[in-house]
Amino acid sequence: MGLKPATNPDVEAATIELSIDGKPVTAKDGVSLYDVISSTGKIIPAMCYHYTFDPFGSCGMCLVMQEGKKAPVRSCTAKAAAGMIIRTEGDDLFQARKKAVEKHLSVHPLDCPVCDADGHCELQDMAFQHGVTNLASAKQKLIPEDTRSPVLDFNMNRCIACAECINVCKDVLMIDALQFMKKGGFNQVVPKGDQALSCEFCGDCLAVCPVGAITNKFSKYLYKPWQMKKTTTTCNYCGDGCQMQLETKDAEVVRVTSPLSWKNKWGDRTDTAKGHGGLCVRGRFGFEYIDSPVRLKQPLLRKGNQLVQVPWLEAMHHVADRFADIQRQHGPDAIAGLITARCTNEELYLFQKLMRTAFRTNQFDSSARYGHLNFVHASRKALGIGRSPNDWEDLTKAKAIIVLGSNITETNPLTAVRIKEAIRVYKAQVVVIDSAVTNMAKLASHPVLINPGTEGLVIEGLIKATLELGLIDEDSTKKHPKAFEALKAAVAHVSLEQVAAHTGMSIDALNSTAAIFAEAPRSIILCAEGIVRQSNGYQNVLKLIDLAWITGKLGQPGCGVSTVTEEPNEQGAVDMGAAPEFFPGQALFSDQTARDRFGKAWDVTLPAAGSGADLVEILKRCRSGQIRALYVIGENPLATLPSSMEVRAALDRLEFLVVQDPFLTDTGRMAHAVLPACTSAEKDGTFTNLEGRVLRVREAIDPIGESLPDWHIMTALANALGDQWEYESSNDIQAEIMKLLPGYYNLGQPRKVVPTVDRYLSNGYAADVAARYRASAPSGAKSQRPFSLSMGQILYHSGKMSTSAFGLIKIAPNTGRLRMNPLDMEQLAVGDGAKVRLTSDLGSLQVAVQSDPSIAPRTCFFPEHFNEPPVKDLMPVQVDATTGVPSFKHALVMIEKA
Amino acid sequence: MRATLLIKKILQAALFDEIWDAMKVTFKHMFHKPITFQYPREQRILPDTHRGALALLRYDDHQERCVGCDLCEAACPSRCIKVVSSEDAERPLQRFASEFYIDITKCVFCGYCVEACPVNALAMTKMYEFSTHDKRTLLFDKERLYDIGERHLDDAKKYLHAHNQEKNVEESREYRYYFPQSVLKPTQPPPKHLG
Repeated sequence: MGLKPATNPDVEAATIELSIDGKPVTAKDGVSLYDVISSTGKIIPAMCYHYTFDPFGSCGMCLVMQEGKKAPVRSCTAKAAAGMIIRTEGDDLFQARKKAVEKHLSVHPLDCPVCDADGHCELQDMAFQHGVTNLASAKQKLIPEDTRSPVLDFNMNRCIACAECINVCKDVLMIDALQFMKKGGFNQVVPKGDQALSCEFCGDCLAVCPVGAITNKFSKYLYKPWQMKKTTTTCNYCGDGCQMQLETKDAEVVRVTSPLSWKNKWGDRTDTAKGHGGLCVRGRFGFEYIDSPVRLKQPLLRKGNQLVQVPWLEAMHHVADRFADIQRQHGPDAIAGLITARCTNEELYLFQKLMRTAFRTNQFDSSARYGHLNFVHASRKALGIGRSPNDWEDLTKAKAIIVLGSNITETNPLTAVRIKEAIRVYKAQVVVIDSAVTNMAKLASHPVLINPGTEGLVIEGLIKATLELGLIDEDSTKKHPKAFEALKAAVAHVSLEQVAAHTGMSIDALNSTAAIFAEAPRSIILCAEGIVRQSNGYQNVLKLIDLAWITGKLGQPGCGVSTVTEEPNEQGAVDMGAAPEFFPGQALFSDQTARDRFGKAWDVTLPAAGSGADLVEILKRCRSGQIRALYVIGENPLATLPSSMEVRAALDRLEFLVVQDPFLTDTGRMAHAVLPACTSAEKDGTFTNLEGRVLRVREAIDPIGESLPDWHIMTALANALGDQWEYESSNDIQAEIMKLLPGYYNLGQPRKVVPTVDRYLSNGYAADVAARYRASAPSGAKSQRPFSLSMGQILYHSGKMSTSAFGLIKIAPNTGRLRMNPLDMEQLAVGDGAKVRLTSDLGSLQVAVQSDPSIAPRTCFFPEHFNEPPVKDLMPVQVDATTGVPSFKHALVMIEKA
Repeated sequence: MRATLLIKKILQAALFDEIWDAMKVTFKHMFHKPITFQYPREQRILPDTHRGALALLRYDDHQERCVGCDLCEAACPSRCIKVVSSEDAERPLQRFASEFYIDITKCVFCGYCVEACPVNALAMTKMYEFSTHDKRTLLFDKERLYDIGERHLDDAKKYLHAHNQEKNVEESREYRYYFPQSVLKPTQPPPKHLG
């Protein structure tokens, strides 16, 4: 049918008037009659309708009477037209709907007692509502159950052929993994080509299935809806901050459901601009790490050569005594700390307060240092805002999106759905520039494959093309003529031919990308791991901001340079000041007024303004023996950083290493004390997602074993060290943050930020810009090491935490295989599973290979979640001079047949 | 008037009239069938509808009837039932109750759970003697419930019959669920009464 949304940001649809049940109703032209009726608050039953996709019209429940027609009409597929007179109630309609229910029930098995959807089934509800008690004829389909997929079971006996699963998969998620197939005399939903299901496994088909035809393999038969407690909380896997419902039975997490379900179908289509409420595979099926049997349940202390279980009291006494000893003997700067951005805002705030007030040191860092801080620093410098200026709605309604160096479908699947929505509904032009054939590239209007590591050069090319094509926004550039001249001079040496030759992106592509970006009314650049986690990330983000500036996109509504974050609370870590350079609220640590303010609020003398160390510096000082004690919360530097950073040597040198984690990590095995912490399902708090929305995290189950929330442990530690902290719950900490940062807790709405464009452009810009575009000669070592190895995230995992989720490991186990382009494999004469020798400047190892057509020729990929084999140790590390961000995801390698 | 009354009183006293009255009742009861019976030596005959201890039943082929649907737990007004269901490891795709608990100390013997049971796996028996030294034994688990079902099978069946839930064995077969087979395994022939 293709009923388009009534309005989009560009065109206002005409208003029409019609009458529903005798009342005049105004609506926008072009929408479905069903939407108009439901917007008046009336709910008419419909089993195949959902507002996220176009109406399908198979269930025959949404019948209404239209004056002038003899038979009832299906309101979902009928377009609302001016002057329609509609009746939605009446005995005739009730009987007609009842007939439709009976029709569905006559081929539906009455196996409700064993069906997982029992109690959450639309057909069941309709049968009750319409009083269906007897069926004239009933037929059993006796279709065998499809159990081939690792995640979902398809019981097509129960299917009512509403096609919601097919539609949501095809239209909303653009995966298109399901289809109808006539088999055994019945129309059945089968995975594409009647093979085992192989898709993104987001499970949105499961969520929208109004009956129990699609069931979740991980919680099959384990529950009935009335047995479970539902807790709405925020997902702990990526920066999207999706809301999800953890359904628990006592101390066990049974399943995860999304706000998207057949039940939330009554809405207005504009809802989809802010997210359709679905989840990705990690959120929906990766919950098993929470009650995993390998969770730490008791504190451990190193006695002799072993970690021994001890009671909390003994552990805390020991930890506090040792910290106090070291502080007394060697001064406060003998202690440092690291925290993960998977902690809540409250805990991140408390961590930096603990370090600065109890330990009196400024040597600590969070995992935002792995990349997000590149973006924050660049954006703060140029625009004065330390986060992405765009929210999901901006992405959905954008006309042009440049996705640069981001495999967004894999890293942030739900942000990717926003871009898909932009492509599908608002017909946005999407340029995907990446060194691999990403999923988004397959959907985008302008996919561009570039050579790995040349993202910076591409940006220079785009700026050059913009200047050459005269796509300059006169208003923005005229305000700062000096800055503009400086920029022109800085890129004078760039030639498009050279850029094209080095990057592999043709001049035509550069020109058309520049034109698409400059000419669209709302254009967004989305840069992620390919920019911020690579060397020169800080400068490259600044270059992107330059591009946005000269095309007049800075500060315009719906425009900007944005990023996505890999961990749920990287933005929160920066906002809460869990970085040596920042106070909470991103006030500079060296700023005297901020120092006075926070010093007074915390009633302490703060560490000296210039002091402090970030991640790389901390590890260096550990190695030099300057830092003697390290407090690690949830971080696992040993498994994350390549061995060239000598993490093991650094940790070995420590006198006292405390690791606080839900799991016994590699770093934890080296520790002197290990404190069991809770996962986010067992504590209250908030996350700040990539849009800057503050989202609640709620306690779904009691802490597993004797584990405690991180804030609780930190409070106890501070008190043991002689401070008087009186936090009894995370609410108390929240109250303190609210006083210090008024307006930070913004009730789930993204805070609108206005970039200050002019400050940087009018002072300091001209001096900086020449250095930014200094010709970077591509390295000539290409012939020796022809392959480019990159490590990155895959869809089914997030960091190392997801490897403890049994379900995700079942979907995507560690194959230990390097992914390569089939053509390269042919050239090397290796087949799937064959061993190759991988050599980089730092070493060499043997690894099996696997063909993957989405990997570009001359590149190879290994997922960063697994260290078996330790491919990460081949990676060289480059530390950004300005932001201290270590980048270690890219290396040049040689591959030989082993 | 006074004299006659006095004489009557004297006569009554002399002839032990009250005792005769009392003896009359006693003698009358000597020929009456006794109402009190000698529990526990004598057991009361209970009607088939009697709501006593709950039991879990098996089919004649010894397969557990319970499919772990948890409707009994939903119906229970005193919340004394707990069902833990899962997929049967030996027979894939079949749901069954891996654990089943009834806290009989909380049970109010309303029989709603039996009514709710779609497969007639639950029934009430005529057993009502729960006295014990250890209260913990009153938390009936699955094994105990099947044990009661086995020992009081006739009573349980009579109960279901009396409550119009299960008329005869043949009919009860229709309550059985035939779970679909996996595509990964050869399908079994459809059950006779559905075929």
